[in-house]
Amino acid sequence: MAGLRMLVVWCPDWPLVSWGVPLDEPAAVVVANRVVATTPEARRFGVARSQRRREAQGRCPELAILDRELDREARLFEPIAAALDDITPRVEVAGPGLIGFPTRGPSRFFGGDELLAQTTLDRIDPVLPVRAPARVGVADGVFAARLVARSTRSGGGAQRTSRILEPGCSPDFLADLPITVLDSPELTDVFVRLGLTTLGRLAALSSADVVGRFGRDGQLAHRLASGQDDHPPDLREPAPELAVTSMFDPPAETSERTAHMARVLADELHDNLLSRGVVCTRIAIEAETETGEKRLRLWRHQGALSAGAIADRARWQLDAWIQAKAGGGSQSDRPTSGVVRLTLIPDEVVPATGHQLGLWGTRNERSRDVTRVVARLQTLLGPDSVTVPEFQGGLGPGERIRLVPAAAVDLAEERPAASPQWVGEPWPGAVPAPLPSRVHVNPLPVVVLDEALEGVGVDGRGQFSQPPTWVEGSIGGQRSQRRRVCNWAGPWTAEQRWWDPLTGRRRARLQVVLDDGTAHLLTLERGRWSIEATYD
Amino acid sequence: MDQRSSLAPALIAAYAAPTSAAQDRLLAVPELLAGLFPSGGLQRGWSVSVSGIGGWSVALALLGPTLAGDSWAGVVGGESLGLVAANELDVRLERLLMVESPGPKAGEVVAALIEAVDVICLGPEVSIGSRFARRLLARAREQGTVLLHLGQGWSEPYDVKILVEPGGWSGIGKGYGHLQSRSVVVSASGRRSMTQPRRVELLLPAPGGGLAPAPVRASGSRLDLNVSV
Repeated sequence: MAGLRMLVVWCPDWPLVSWGVPLDEPAAVVVANRVVATTPEARRFGVARSQRRREAQGRCPELAILDRELDREARLFEPIAAALDDITPRVEVAGPGLIGFPTRGPSRFFGGDELLAQTTLDRIDPVLPVRAPARVGVADGVFAARLVARSTRSGGGAQRTSRILEPGCSPDFLADLPITVLDSPELTDVFVRLGLTTLGRLAALSSADVVGRFGRDGQLAHRLASGQDDHPPDLREPAPELAVTSMFDPPAETSERTAHMARVLADELHDNLLSRGVVCTRIAIEAETETGEKRLRLWRHQGALSAGAIADRARWQLDAWIQAKAGGGSQSDRPTSGVVRLTLIPDEVVPATGHQLGLWGTRNERSRDVTRVVARLQTLLGPDSVTVPEFQGGLGPGERIRLVPAAAVDLAEERPAASPQWVGEPWPGAVPAPLPSRVHVNPLPVVVLDEALEGVGVDGRGQFSQPPTWVEGSIGGQRSQRRRVCNWAGPWTAEQRWWDPLTGRRRARLQVVLDDGTAHLLTLERGRWSIEATYD
Repeated sequence: MDQRSSLAPALIAAYAAPTSAAQDRLLAVPELLAGLFPSGGLQRGWSVSVSGIGGWSVALALLGPTLAGDSWAGVVGGESLGLVAANELDVRLERLLMVESPGPKAGEVVAALIEAVDVICLGPEVSIGSRFARRLLARAREQGTVLLHLGQGWSEPYDVKILVEPGGWSGIGKGYGHLQSRSVVVSASGRRSMTQPRRVELLLPAPGGGLAPAPVRASGSRLDLNVSV
């Protein structure tokens, strides 16, 4: 059975558009050292998604690197979803940059698919950022519609185009597309090795064979590839009493309170659903203010929505609403009073498969406890107060790890960025392992002296002027003292960003063992020595 | 779905949940440090202080095996903790939650973390009023969370006090080589089951990373690694 006919609006490169970067400049958004979005100009240089940061910078040295801010992307995208609300109430947001809605009613109302697509573009035109591209695709099934939207050629100046696929043409359109559009790397890996390189080849196999070999995931992939109804076959209507509501008293005017409550509510809903053995794939989030203004938004997700994902979407929706700029658009954007009610209504649920629940739920419980604690600590100290470590490239012991706000990652999932393989080999010029266990946030200034009590420096060829014999300063937090150097090694010289006079750094590092038994890593920069780290 | 089938998963989970055995009250530690504790590991709910030169490395090493499973650890105020060094000592960074600057709310931060993590590592600058500290220790004992304090820490008596004395570094000379390995003597004493002090010698870090047993000379005496190699 062909899928429901859907219209999909896709705003390409939305992460960069939401940053406000002009698309004719090379820029990329990098998450955990990998590129996730690029501007067209960057693509001209050969920068592509999932490249490492260094490779991307190698291809395009002027590349501007930006962090991903999912909150901002979602918040700036909400007005676009809101602009389509009067075409149909069933607008679904699949993520920042991607909206879909079923065309049956609206198409009849506006007199055909072409006119509907044009009306959609007209409606979002005023709310899109200037010169931001947008593509519309119409086809049977949301999977095909998304791919149709991506396939529209961007006309030279007019960046807003649409493409309509005739009813029943989805299977032919999909047949020639590469298997990687399925976007599930483990499955597509196996498919490619079996010779199924296009969707058409997968669709040509018998459904029973695919299910037998790959199970439920394979069945889903096969249905998508054949252009069939892409709802998971075991979709259910959830019971209405599964909706959860919470009231705010006094009304919430700020994002922090709503964020905390959204988290708590999402946990509650997720627990309710799990105790019935299902998880949510589409959720309706409704908020109401004291003066009766309501905002309802449908959110759909490719897989299942975890508690964290639900909480994020509730937060995005509320943030976007509370912080909307006044004026612009027929709808009143900004609420006139505080939010009093937040309701989460699961719209579509599927049975929870094995990998959702840990064995008897212990693993998930643990990470749920942790996420709850993180939310609590964030209300206590602020959003960036709780961090988690991630590896990044760097030379000094303090530069090889960076701390990322815990709210920006999904603590329940595996995080490859937290393991050293993420970065590959250490950079040349780095001090060899073992690394010091104590890296001073503010390096302790010291003076390094030779036997004759003269200062020790490093010359242009990377050699010490004299062997270091004394280290004098507040070592170990006590008042200034002078200690003899028993053993020493170095220098390890490092020049960073030598091409940039402003941010370039030249440093030399020295390991010393002092006569009080301590060992330190000293750094010389611009003629001054400091203790960068201690081997405690 | 009828009533029975909706209750079934919850019932099954309750039946199958593992019962708490004596072993569950212990947190695993590296084999070479197990000799410090009479039961071979850290007892859940203990408060531990680690001081001395080399103490931070010992604390990180103790953390490693706990995080190998499902457990999480919170680090409060440990801004200068060397995380790459932690990773070299087999600490899974994936399981660390860092709260670098708790400020005056350190007590509440620790109280919140006790509910979710198995070990809380406290930096030397973290200070908590003694009444609050006593309540936190009691709560940690109830919840089975180990409080690991870098440095001498609070005025409250600790269940275990670990003292580290460094031996010498090997691999580094006068102007050549690099710091490779250090011998340390770790001793532990404390209250209740820990009143008898215990002592182990080992290499931490060992050449090639991690921990290794201290080399013993043919005569049986400890190798003096203070000599430049």
